[in-house]
Amino acid sequence: MTEQFAYPSDRETSSADRVQALERLLIEKGVITGQTVDKVLAYFESEMTPLNGQKIVVKAWTDPDFAARVVVDTPAALEELDLPEGMAGAEGEHLQAVANVPGVHNLVICTLCSCFPWPVLGLPPYWYKDPVFRARAAREPRTVLAEVGVALPDETEIKVWDSSGHSRWFVIPERPPGTEDFTDEQLMDLVTTESMMGVALAGESA
Amino acid sequence: MRLQHYLGGLEGLPQPLNLEKRVFVEDWEKRIFGIHVAMMGLSKHLGSALPEYPIDDVPTEFRDEWTWASLRTGAEGMNPFDYFKFRYYEKWLGGISQFFVDQGYVSEEEISAILGAPKAPTAEPGSPAIDDQVIDYLRRGDSPRRDVAHPKFAVGDKVLIADVPAGEHTRLPGYLRTRVGTVTRVFEGDYGYFVHTGDGIGDPMPIYIVEFTPEELWGPRAEPGANALYAELFEAYLQPIEEDQ
Repeated sequence: MTEQFAYPSDRETSSADRVQALERLLIEKGVITGQTVDKVLAYFESEMTPLNGQKIVVKAWTDPDFAARVVVDTPAALEELDLPEGMAGAEGEHLQAVANVPGVHNLVICTLCSCFPWPVLGLPPYWYKDPVFRARAAREPRTVLAEVGVALPDETEIKVWDSSGHSRWFVIPERPPGTEDFTDEQLMDLVTTESMMGVALAGESA
Repeated sequence: MRLQHYLGGLEGLPQPLNLEKRVFVEDWEKRIFGIHVAMMGLSKHLGSALPEYPIDDVPTEFRDEWTWASLRTGAEGMNPFDYFKFRYYEKWLGGISQFFVDQGYVSEEEISAILGAPKAPTAEPGSPAIDDQVIDYLRRGDSPRRDVAHPKFAVGDKVLIADVPAGEHTRLPGYLRTRVGTVTRVFEGDYGYFVHTGDGIGDPMPIYIVEFTPEELWGPRAEPGANALYAELFEAYLQPIEEDQ
């Protein structure tokens, strides 16, 4: 059994070497080009980042009509905003926003894999893909949230959304109190990826 | 049964939870992510996707279908102890490199021969049309929505979650099997899946949101408090409740 649970001593270097060899061979054989991987990464680093989600949330905070629309037909509401082309692209084909309101807190999980709204939030952080988080959040969301700093009153309802279908979910967190005089830029700084998945509150780091 | 399908609700796991907020924890992980996205963007099935990508005209040597279903099938089919042992992108690297070997694109000998070799300057830049297709896929996507739905269930219906035999890959979380929930939403349209998984999904069908109470899912060991769990489920996974039996 020891081999089953032991990691090779060259764990990271062997993976790094293997992926480098694989990419090189795929380029040489004409499957991809020498630029493909870099272009994919640049797409996510420059355009499909949590900045898009921050803009959506701040719009919802500052425009009640938009806030009402975005949870009903999310793709149509996003078309009103100045966002990069491709919000309905890969892993954004069927976006669905849910809003936290007083007394209701939403938490998005994916127990089978790691479905994530790429165009809104970019790529999923490791915590979202962690089997321990995925397992525990389904059964004991209140305990999990308290452990990461979101202590909710007992009477607050927690809605857990397990992404097992076509939708890609994200959360419109509640606007923190005392931010009435904030500019849009200041408000955007309060919105983290974690708050848009429900494991943090806006304005508080998870 | 596969442990991967029954991850939701597994007990005895470590706490407290710490959130690792990085997307990649090793630089090499970015490369396998990029390769996977390229494979999805060059997948042969995109010729019949809704945007009707001109996939047969793309000058790539890639000649297979590669979708989320491919990656998920690999991860769900793994030795479950390996599944928990290895990090997310380690599983991707294992599954993707095995695919390229199995399909004859590269051999283990070719990989071994250049392991650890310095990054070679690329002689051939390759056709930009390959990259254009990959980025076009990212921008326009691959929606599974197809026809107008004729759903069997309506909002408010109580449904019994099926306990269909699972193959290597399913979209039915194990913890929902045999549980009773309430339909809270019927999505417009029918939704296909990339492959026929063998447990009922593949052809276009309605998708529902079904609400479950913690007591229904976890019994007396449910976490106290006002919680509800919502799952998005294909119609094949729902059964009517037989009344008055």
